[in-house]
This record gives sequence, C-alpha cells and structure tokens, in this order.
Amino acid sequence: MMPRDAEVVVVGAGPAGLTTAAALAERGVERVLVVDRDDEAGGLPRFCSHLGFGWEYTHRLETGPGLVRRLLRRLDSNAVTLLTRTSVLSVKPGPKVELVSGRHGHMHVEPRAVVLATGIRERPRSARLVPGKRPAQGILTTGQLQQMVARGVPVGGRRAVVVGTEHVAFSILLTARHAGLDVVAMVGAEDRIMSYAVAGLVARTMGVPIHLSSTVDDIQGADRVESVALRGPSGQRSIACDTVIFSGDFIPDAALMPGSGIAVAAATSGPSVDQYGCTSAPGIFAAGNVLRAVESSGLAAIEGARVGTNVAAYLEGLLAWPDVGTCIRLTEGLAYIVPQRWVPTNDSGYATRSLPISLRALADVPRARLRLIENGKEVWAGREMKVLRHRRLALPAAILDRLRGGDAALHLDPV
Amino acid sequence: MSGRYDVAIVGAGVVGCAIARELSRYELRTILIEARSDLGDGVSKGNSAVLSTGADTPFGSLECKLVSRGHQRYVAEAPAMGLPIKAIGSLTVAWNNDERRIVEQLQAETVAAGFHDVVVVGADEIYRRAPHIAPGAVAAMWDPEEGIVDPFSTPYAYALDAVTNGVTFQDRSPVEKAERNGAGWHLHTPRGVVEAGIVINCGGLGAAKIEALGGFSDFVMKPRRGQFLVFDKSARTLLDVVLKPVPTPLYRGILMTPTIFGNILVGPTSEEIDDPDDWRVTQSGIDALLAAVRRLLPQLLDHEITATYCGIRPGTERPEYRIIPRPDERWLTVGGIRSTGLSGSLGIAEHVAGLVVGEMIGGRRKPSHTVVSVPSLAAGERPWLNGKAADPEHCEIMCHCEGITLGEIREAMASPLAPRSLKALKRRTRVMFGRCQGFFCGARVQALFERLSAERST
Ligand SMILES: Cc1cc2nc3c(=O)[nH]c(=O)nc-3n(C[C@H](O)[C@H](O)[C@H](O)COP(=O)(O)OP(=O)(O)OC[C@H]3O[C@@H](n4cnc5c(N)ncnc54)[C@H](O)[C@@H]3O)c2cc1C
Ligand SMILES: Cc1cc2nc3c(=O)[nH]c(=O)nc-3n(C[C@H](O)[C@H](O)[C@H](O)COP(=O)(O)OP(=O)(O)OC[C@H]3O[C@@H](n4cnc5c(N)ncnc54)[C@H](O)[C@@H]3O)c2cc1C
Repeated sequence: MMPRDAEVVVVGAGPAGLTTAAALAERGVERVLVVDRDDEAGGLPRFCSHLGFGWEYTHRLETGPGLVRRLLRRLDSNAVTLLTRTSVLSVKPGPKVELVSGRHGHMHVEPRAVVLATGIRERPRSARLVPGKRPAQGILTTGQLQQMVARGVPVGGRRAVVVGTEHVAFSILLTARHAGLDVVAMVGAEDRIMSYAVAGLVARTMGVPIHLSSTVDDIQGADRVESVALRGPSGQRSIACDTVIFSGDFIPDAALMPGSGIAVAAATSGPSVDQYGCTSAPGIFAAGNVLRAVESSGLAAIEGARVGTNVAAYLEGLLAWPDVGTCIRLTEGLAYIVPQRWVPTNDSGYATRSLPISLRALADVPRARLRLIENGKEVWAGREMKVLRHRRLALPAAILDRLRGGDAALHLDPV
Repeated sequence: MSGRYDVAIVGAGVVGCAIARELSRYELRTILIEARSDLGDGVSKGNSAVLSTGADTPFGSLECKLVSRGHQRYVAEAPAMGLPIKAIGSLTVAWNNDERRIVEQLQAETVAAGFHDVVVVGADEIYRRAPHIAPGAVAAMWDPEEGIVDPFSTPYAYALDAVTNGVTFQDRSPVEKAERNGAGWHLHTPRGVVEAGIVINCGGLGAAKIEALGGFSDFVMKPRRGQFLVFDKSARTLLDVVLKPVPTPLYRGILMTPTIFGNILVGPTSEEIDDPDDWRVTQSGIDALLAAVRRLLPQLLDHEITATYCGIRPGTERPEYRIIPRPDERWLTVGGIRSTGLSGSLGIAEHVAGLVVGEMIGGRRKPSHTVVSVPSLAAGERPWLNGKAADPEHCEIMCHCEGITLGEIREAMASPLAPRSLKALKRRTRVMFGRCQGFFCGARVQALFERLSAERST
C-alpha cells in the first residue's frame, strides 16, 4: 500500500499505536498505515529491558522489548503497513496528514481517520528551571539514558545523582548500573517517595541514599558535571558526581496539536477526548499516553485496542461523530480525568468500547471516597480508600454510562 | 601547527570571525587562533540575537557608528551567506506618563541622531502590533528596522567564508605567551608558536589577559551576566515584535522577542559578576524573568520552557568599545564589545580592516573571492521545503522537535570547520536544541556524531 491510499493513519508505533492498528485489522479495516519517526517500531518500551510491561493488556510478565515483539507479531501485515523513520509534521482538519520520510519524501495524505498515539516525554532540566551551570555533558533524562544504554552509546560517567522518586527513577537504578554508573544519591522534592515503598527499600539495599524534601539548587561543571548542590531539611549539601539524571515529570508530546483543530485539556496538556477517544476534530482520535502523563504501557495498550475498535465503528458508520457532550467537572482535590467528556451512547450495541478511566488526585488524602453527581443527584459512590497523588484512582468506565447528559461532577470527599 | 603570518587574530567569537572574513579579501596571510575547540563558544553563544540598528547605543560614539554600519552591511550581505534575518521591528513601551515622557524624548534624540524611521506610537498601534501584551501600555517608540538573526550560524558563516578564502583557522590553541620580535610577535600556544606581523586581540572576556601578555593594560574587565528563558515554539503566536522596556543609561532591561527559530526569548538580566567563568543560571535570575513575563506577557506562562541559559557581557570599566590601534607596537585591541557585537560585527570588521591596511601593514584587495553560504535554520525553512525533497537523507528527521535531518548533520560534519563536539554540532544544526533537549533523539544523534567523527578522522 502506498501511504496515499491509507484509510486510517495511526501516528506513533508505541504500545497504543500498535494495538490500535491490530484492532482495526481485526475489525476488517484493510488499509491501515502506522507511522513512527524512530528507526524501529515500539515506542518507549523498546528501551526498557526490565520486567513489567503490558501486564494489564497481556497478563504476562514481560520486558519492554518483549511486549513490543508480541504486539508486532499480532499485526496483520496484509492490512497494516508499518512505516518507520517517517515523521508526521502536521495534522490538519479534514483530517489531512503531512509526512516526511527518506523513502517517500514530503507528502500529504487524506485518510478517513487519524489516531494520535504520540506518547510522552520527560521534562528536561531546563523546563524544570533547575539553577546552575549548563555543562555540555552529564545532564540527562531517564528516557535518554535508557536509549543510550539500549543503543550501546557510551554514557561516559561514573557517579550519578537521580532526581525524582517515581517508578522510573527506581527502574533507572538498574539501567545506571548496567551503564557502569554508580548512583550516589536520589533526590525527591516531596516528603515521601512517589513510587511503591518497596522501591525505596530496594534503593536502600543497593546502598543508595534518598534525600527527601530536597531540591537541586546548583549544578557545577564546565564540559561535564562536577557536582550538584542539594537544599533540604538539613541545609545545603554538595555531592560530587559527573552525571545528573532527571526522571519522571512526564508531559504528553502534543506537538501536533496546534493547528489540528484538536482542543487541548489544560489539566493534562493532551487532547480532550470523549469515551470513544474522539478529539474535538472530526475524524481525529487519540490513544495512549498522549492523553496524559502517565499510565503504564499496559493501560496505553488497552486504550489503543479500544480506540481501534471505535475507529472501525466510525468507518462502518456505526459511530456517528459525536458532538462535544458533557464535560465531567472535577471538584477540589482532583487533578485530571481522561476521558474528559462523555457523550450519550449513539451506538446500537456492541460496536464501540469506552476508554478505561484515568483519574488522579492533586495530593495525598489518608481516606476519601469518590462520588459522581449529576444535576445534584448522586449517580455513584465509591468505596473509602487511601489516595496517593501519583496513583491511578479506580473508577469503572461503565459508571459513566449512567450519565444522562446533565451537569456531571466528580467529587473526592475526604472521610 | 606553527608558521608565519601577516596577521594573527586571537579569539574566534563573532568579532574575530568577522574580522577574519574581512581580511580574507586582502592579499594577507591571516590566521584565526581560538582557545576552545570550536568557534563561537564564548560570549557569542549567549545573547538576545537581536540585530540592533544602533538606535539603542550612545549617540555619537564609535559603537553607534559601527553598529549602524554593521546593521546596514548585515542586511545587505547576510542573504548571500544564507543567514536569515527577520526585520520584525521593536516597541519600547511606556507603561505610565513618566515613561511616556522619556520615550518621547528618546525618540526625538534618536531621530536627531539620524534614525529617521523611529516614531512614537499610541496604545492603539501598540496593541495592533502586540495584541497579547498586558493592558496599560500608554505609548511606545517604534523602530521598524530592528530585526532578529541566527547568532550561532553568524560566526560560523563568517569563519567558513574566511577559511574558504584563505584564512587559517587554528582551534584548541589558547595564546599563553606573546613575545615581541623585530617583525611582529611570536604567539605561544600549546599547539605551536605562531609568528605574526600584527596581532589583533579579539579575546572577548579574555581580552584583558591577552592585553597583559603583550604588556598592555589600558582596561580591566567588568563582566556582566545576563540570563534568559526560552519558551516553547507553541508560544510564537503571542508576539511578533521585539518588546522592550524603557531603558536606563546602564541597562536596556529585560526584553521579550521571538527568535529566528520560532521560540519566544525573555531576558537578559544584568548582574555584575567577579568570576568571568560564572556561567550560572540562578534562582533569583529565573524569578526576575518570570516576574517580567507575569507583568508584560502573562499568557506566556501557559507555555512550556524549552531552555534557560546565560551570557556574559565582556564589558570593561568604561561603557564603550575599546578599539585601540597601536601601529608602532603592531598590536590592535578589539575589546569591550559588550552588548552589540553581533549587530556590530561587520561594521567593526570593516573599521578594523581599515586600520590594518590603512595604518598598520597595508595589503592589496584581492580581485575576487569565493562566496560561501550556510544552510538556513530559520523557522519554517526545512530542507524538504527548500528544494531537497528528492534527497532521502534530507527527508529523514533525526531531531524531531526541531526537524533536523540526517542530511543536515552529515553536511555539518563534512564542513572544513566540522564540529569536534556534540555541543558544537548543536550550534551548527540545532539538533537537541528543542523542547525535549535530547530525550527522543539524544542517543541516536550522539551515536551518529561519533560514527561520522571517526569516519572523518580516518
Ligand atoms: C523512562 C520511562 C520508563 C518507563 N517505565 C515503564 C515501566 O516500567 N512499565 C510500564 O508499564 N510503563 C513504563 N513507562 C511508560 C510506557 O513506556 C508508556 O506508558 C508507553 O510507552 C506509552 O505508550 P504510547 O504508545 O502511548 O507511547 P510511546 O511508547 O511513547 O510511543 C509513541 C510513539 O510515537 C512516535 N511519535 C511521536 N510523535 C510522532 C510524530 N510526529 N511522527 C511519527 N511518530 C511519532 C514516537 O516515536 C514513539 O515511538 C515508562 C516510560 C518512560 C519514559
Ligand atoms: C546577555 C547578552 C545579550 C546580548 N544581546 C545582544 C544582542 O541582542 N545583539 C547584539 O548584537 N549583541 C548582543 N550581545 C553582545 C554580543 O553577544 C557580544 O558583543 C559578542 O558576542 C562579543 O563577541 P566577541 O567575539 O568579542 O567575544 P567572544 O565571543 O567571547 O569571543 C572571544 C573568543 O576569544 C577566545 N579567547 C579568549 N582568550 C583567548 C586566548 N588567550 N587565546 C585564544 N583565544 C582566546 C575565547 O575562547 C572566545 O571564543 C549580548 C551579549 C550578552 C552577554
């Protein structure tokens, strides 16, 4: 198939893009083009050799590359064309897709539907406004370090400080060791580690001190990092190191949104979608971590599969392009919800599938319960639970089907 | 690498490179000596990238004359070098009636100094040109000629031109000792001794130290740091002019401007520092810049910050250029090029070449020279749009945020002035200069850089 003939263009061949394509093919869509700008398909998991990728989707204990291989095996090559080293430069209303690649040059494609599955990135040191010098070498994000290790690019350092205490910060401990880097300290702004408590234990067993309630105040070094200064409860301290790894602080890669007609949700910096994954631009869907930072690769894969199903329904005429629908209002204490919007079901039965709900609180709450209220009436109330800021709050997607198009608000009530 | 030259230029910043280019038009053996492993790696790598017309320099000064001339020549000569310019104009905005009076007086003086296009405009015109700035602007001085340029490609284009036209470039060679001999000077560097008929000191922050090597002590350095924030390209639609505050005699204040690459730049601060090597972005600097944004263009805060950086103005104890010809000593000082050196470079070069050929050693103009150009890195100018859509390497993007291709990296690496470090490659091509700072492409670009460097050295 030539790119021009594509019926659907999926942008991004990470877990979400790959499961979207697989679902489209399963539903009989024949000309699916998956484009990825990197040199191989797979997205971020490609560079993470530890276990724990795709669990929610595959129910198997797999590494990142293992998950990618499984997802690629499931693609029907008759229906799906995978084009790597190909960049989507813009997506315009229509939808129209502008591509450039060594193989096909610069071209414009007008498919019937587009799925954005462009994933996330980590905020670099600069965006975090960390003061200090800017040595040419030794300042990295975890994603960049993982890629360097996976691609065999020498990291060139010996002693690293890891900034952040989310899951990735701990997974980088192993990667760093692999790269010959000794992690001499971890630094977290919060007063607890953001990952599971067991991760902190692992770090301590590895002999890595964790400085909580602390921030990086200064970086020294000319060509390469020489030291960092931390400010914390016990004052300022300087740590000699040649590498600083900034972890977490993810943000959707939303570069394609300006000019696309896609409304961006302020709370996530990603596209605002309804339960089908429809953005505000007709024919343009979104799936995976571009929707928000960050869920696991397994959840991204589930989202992709469901959006793929919905795109197929749209192409078959079983899903009319929905209007904006109801925006689910979040009350105090809640950070974001995806999908942001809910539309009354207009699908005759089984052709579509709702996205799983991705919901976060702004801060830790010892005990709280979720309540969904429509027009002042309680539609649903959850069980009491402990709320941790970085953890997904459970809210079954089916609950939204109880909405009737009124004013819907989600409450997080401390108890 | 040693040898005999008519002229040795010490320091390959934008000033030294411009002078090298200028002297390459004469029958002179010229060498450009640089301490670091790349040109443009000193003061010239961290500035506001505004092409000043000279209207914001002290009227009647040499600086004013050379910046005006530099601006005129840049506009005339940059296109052939492939260097982009965008004359977006500047608004120096008064936010109250006191400032309005200052702006009116400033405009009158500016016109009297010969900058006839500069006018005072009212609120309607201000908000027509800059609709997103905070409310409350009462009047502004509008300079339609002020522009934005590419500060990284400029010294590179000059140096490439110079080298193509016969100048020798010697990097990694800090001049550590200067010995006077009958015919001129012996300059000692770790990579050999250079014999030169005359020395031109273009050492930027190191100028006073180089002076001392020659036995001169006309000035001391008073470095002033300036910090910046670079906002994401998504913010570009918020501003299409250079937005300036009303200046004081010593500080032109924090400006906000689009960059030629399509970002929005905010800065610089102005801080006297003792250590000329204190290239630090500080919390107080960041806070001052964010406060200015909050006051003047608050919508910017909805956008991501791509980079923070600082520059250090190579000022001296007097607020002026220190261009000192010493024909008898065969030494020419080009120091104190504080905050207008990018704009003034071609004016300075012409002036300095005039001194060299006119007063110091003479030199016949060559009948012709080879024109060289560098690829444009301006926003919207990508190879596949500039006639290279059929070249696969020019359509394969390596740096996704900036859209920099494999072909562009290869070309940069094949240059006679090939980058020796990833940092230098960034300045040549803008790889890893975008919002992800290498998260997506860093590993691949580094691997490619190392492979191409190895291929080159064998
Ligand atoms: C450092 C790190 C560690 C992680 N560790 C874990 C873990 O241990 N377990 C876990 O479950 N999850 C982990 N994750 C999260 C997991 O990687 C993501 O959830 C998952 O990859 C999201 O899948 P996705 O398909 O949405 O996006 P991605 O995997 O990010 O894929 C997006 C793809 O889109 C492509 N793309 C983007 N823009 C364009 C464009 N304009 N044109 C063409 N192609 C484009 C990219 O090249 C990329 O291949 C980690 C993430 C990071 C960054
Ligand atoms: C914050 C800030 C904002 C600015 N904004 C603007 C603007 O908007 N527009 C504008 O026109 N200008 C601006 N400028 C000014 C401009 O950047 C400078 O005037 C210009 O870069 C000075 O160039 P230079 O060649 O003199 O110095 P440099 O670029 O520092 O070059 C000097 C070179 O000499 C080398 N050197 C030093 N010692 C030795 C030695 N012993 N042996 C060999 N080599 C040596 C150094 O390594 C260096 O490469 C700004 C400057 C700052 C700091």
